[in-house]
Amino acid sequence: MMQGQEVDIAEMIFHHTGDSHELEFEPFGTIHLPAWQPVHIGSLSIDLSPTKYVVFAILAALIVYTMLKVAAVGIERARRAGKAPGGYAGAMEAFVIWVREEVAIENIGHEMGPRYAPLIMSFFFFILICNLLGLLPWGGSPTGNLAVTAALALIAFVAIEVGGMLKLGFKGYMGTIFPHIDGLPPVGARIMSIGLAPIEVMSKLVKPFALTVRLFGNMTAGHFVILALFGIVFLFGHLGVFSYGIGIVTVLVVVGVMLLELLVAVLQAYVFALLTAVFIGLMQHEH
Amino acid sequence: MDTLPAPFRLNPGLMIWTLVVFGILAVVLWKSLYPTILKATIDREARIKKDLDDAERLRAESAAALEEQRQLLASARGEATAIIAEARQAAERERSAAVEKTRQEQEDLLHRARREIEAERERAVADIRREAVDIAIAAAGKVVGARLDAAADRKIVEEYIGSIGTGARG
Repeated sequence: MMQGQEVDIAEMIFHHTGDSHELEFEPFGTIHLPAWQPVHIGSLSIDLSPTKYVVFAILAALIVYTMLKVAAVGIERARRAGKAPGGYAGAMEAFVIWVREEVAIENIGHEMGPRYAPLIMSFFFFILICNLLGLLPWGGSPTGNLAVTAALALIAFVAIEVGGMLKLGFKGYMGTIFPHIDGLPPVGARIMSIGLAPIEVMSKLVKPFALTVRLFGNMTAGHFVILALFGIVFLFGHLGVFSYGIGIVTVLVVVGVMLLELLVAVLQAYVFALLTAVFIGLMQHEH
Repeated sequence: MDTLPAPFRLNPGLMIWTLVVFGILAVVLWKSLYPTILKATIDREARIKKDLDDAERLRAESAAALEEQRQLLASARGEATAIIAEARQAAERERSAAVEKTRQEQEDLLHRARREIEAERERAVADIRREAVDIAIAAAGKVVGARLDAAADRKIVEEYIGSIGTGARG
């Protein structure tokens, strides 16, 4: 595909950012993932065969586990020795504490914050590693796929709404759908309240939708930019000696965008964790 | 769905995979790793909370003790005031009793003195009268012995007696 003079850049971009049933390690080869029979639930047919992003999501989970496991072992050893953990373990401890204190507890509150903190921390580290995997050669960002970000946002949505229900009780939770209107006669307040319910439900659904699209958009856009810039190399590949100049400039620009992507990868993991914490906190303090 | 470009297709299978993978990761981290990594922090939080609770309890206790002291002081002050007032009243009573007694004694003394003076005076008057009578008799005897018949002398005696009578009465 890439050896040809005429390259369909759009096809290349979508091919690289899309999911597939094979892991490409060109020029070393390709691993074909097993294809399973779709599972039928009623009229729905769900293909549970592992795809490229499934593999990378599992890889991200294993990396997160290993990172934190090594840190935990170091911290445990330092504690046995009666010392403060140093080096990698100390850095990871500070990192985890930062996510817990500044992202989770700061936004959810001191009462419920510690209970939600593990979820927020897991969101942060899992999304961070998923984002970074896309920057590796032959890698891919599971978070650059709508299904993955939608699934993560679904978990956030459940945490926000179920958490609110547990905290506020059924009556209090219904108050977040049918808001309490002050300054109107009872009948008018009831009518207004019912009238506002669709807007309240919409606002509940918009939050996970925004989480889904924000993460997906940021990850995908970065890859689009990088691949489009690489497309320049192929577009002008026939210009002889000039193509080298174009190639060098393009590579420099791509390196710059990659560095930006590194920042975006951390930033979007932070944003997803932060917004989830903020939404949980808003729900907890709803009256 | 399949008509959309690859990145925009929503594959339910991948969603389920993500839910399972992230779910397992979150539970494993929550149960096994976070408690170890955060043990120092959570212990410190618990210790700070305990310290705060202790401080609050001690504050309440000292406030109660202070209040108790204040009440004790107030009641002691009230008691002292009552004792002073009572003492003052007792002293006043004593003083007025003493004054009354002295006045009574003075009065008694005065009465007695008056009575004695009166008695002395009466006795003196009686003595004078007796003396006067004796003198008069003696004088009369002398007058009578010499020229008792003279009308002029007779008149002198009568006048004399009369003057004594008025003097004794005066």
